[in-house]
Amino acid sequence: MDVNFRKIDIDQYDEDVILDSELYEPDPRDPAQVLNDAKQKAAAVRQSLARGDVAGALTAVLEGAPYGPNVEEAKNLNLQTVVSILNSTKATEIPNIVRALSPDAQDILMKYLYKGMALPGWGDVSGSVLLGWHEKLTEAAGTGCIVRAMTDRRLV
Amino acid sequence: MAPPELYALGQNQTAINSHAFNANRNEVAVSLNSTDATIWERHGHEWRQTETLSEHDKMITSIDWAPNSNRIVTCAQDRNAYVWQQSPDPQTGRMVWKPTLVLLRINRAATQVRWSPNEDKFAVASGARAIAICSFDPEGDWWVSRLLKKPIRSTVLSVDWHPNNVLLAAGSADMKARVFSAYIKDVDKRPAATVWGEKLPFNTICGEYTSHAGGWVHAVGFSPSGDVLAFASHDSSITIVYPPNSAAYTIKLSSLPLLTLTWTTENSIIAAGHDCQPLVFSGSQGGWELTGTLDDPNANKTGGGAARAGFGAASPVGRLNSAAFNTFRNADSRGISNVPGSPASSGESELFTVHQNTITSVRPYEGVPGNIARVSTSGVDGKLVVWDVTQVSPIGVTGIVGRLAGMQL
Repeated sequence: MDVNFRKIDIDQYDEDVILDSELYEPDPRDPAQVLNDAKQKAAAVRQSLARGDVAGALTAVLEGAPYGPNVEEAKNLNLQTVVSILNSTKATEIPNIVRALSPDAQDILMKYLYKGMALPGWGDVSGSVLLGWHEKLTEAAGTGCIVRAMTDRRLV
Repeated sequence: MAPPELYALGQNQTAINSHAFNANRNEVAVSLNSTDATIWERHGHEWRQTETLSEHDKMITSIDWAPNSNRIVTCAQDRNAYVWQQSPDPQTGRMVWKPTLVLLRINRAATQVRWSPNEDKFAVASGARAIAICSFDPEGDWWVSRLLKKPIRSTVLSVDWHPNNVLLAAGSADMKARVFSAYIKDVDKRPAATVWGEKLPFNTICGEYTSHAGGWVHAVGFSPSGDVLAFASHDSSITIVYPPNSAAYTIKLSSLPLLTLTWTTENSIIAAGHDCQPLVFSGSQGGWELTGTLDDPNANKTGGGAARAGFGAASPVGRLNSAAFNTFRNADSRGISNVPGSPASSGESELFTVHQNTITSVRPYEGVPGNIARVSTSGVDGKLVVWDVTQVSPIGVTGIVGRLAGMQL
């Protein structure tokens, strides 16, 4: 069967097309500031990790996570920071850490887990680490958390 | 403790797209995933099919039965609606349902239809980014439709009327719940001012609310007084909004999204959806919380007694570890294969809930608005269930309750 018709961008023929920007509130911050925030957070996270404060580091990096267009650099940096925290956590500590997160932070962490899984081999992303976190996070936050991560247009 | 009344209307688990009872609840109109609506009559503890309403040529999506004027309205994916009225057959004198076609002027499927409280108008939600408000024109002897269009950006999935017969809430796939004025000059008297506004010409936007994490708004509902709006969205959350300062409480669920809701009192809501059980929410202007489920997890049920008891506590991940999982695990480890959904597969593929699949509709069954004693639910499993709203069971501690956040936005 000819399926090329599926590749036609039908939106270009629709004058009343709905745009991504109409589906969610944009980040009020300026892209440059978002990047700056992400850099500061990366530094703060390194200090927290050096003190062994994984929960604090994770809470900090998940708060105000960059989303939306024009902030690719900040998004990558934040993902890297999240992955570095995930990789340096002992498996036995994970349940308590995810339980201590706020529901909002749990949702954002789930988004990062899925983003990480979508980028195999990117940086030091490790599938088995992500799956370990995913299991514990789902036990703590339920399937609703997964649904929110998949539904939310504010992609991290 | 009266257990929920359970009726399997759909043969072989045919989905019930929609159900609507008549005023004294001895008849119910359902659409069993087909182009026909069927009317069933109660005989003791069972329902017998008495009539078939066939006029639509695509699947019927929604049915509503006006209690006082005893008229049925159906809408379907064929973009039409029919109003059905009982009249005596000229030959036999028997009462038959006569259809009247309503030209909705929409170019996509109709998704939901609801009579207004006074039963002189009805609203049809549709995929055409529009809501058709239909009222009867006695001069032309037909139903005329006016469209609410702006600023809807996507399919409208649900509508609900305000008790004043003028305001209409709509939930849509552009992640928003809105309150519109559906005031029609020839039908409505000038409405009294409400918390939603004073001057209300047709298509006035009286409120617009975005779902918490950007999910489609599946269900909307005005409270019995009409002063509060609740909506459930596909980000597994339910939001309760208090106008005019728009204080909003969002409850994030740890389970799957809700698809339908109804208010039982001014301070409680029953909502259900992909999690297959009706959940009870209660609260007031001070805050809202999930208080429990109507589906008693300890009730005895075929093949599920012991496993069911452990449902809330031992398996916090909802159904991840349940029926479907066990089916495939048994097939893998023991070579036992049973086709999921086949009647022979006893308790193996059975969920620990009364409904065996997504609940798509919950509606008031007994009581008056503001004091509903029982609600009815129907769903994809072809079951119609009547629940006593006072029989609320708590949800296991490790389940949902532990991490609910009724936060103020």
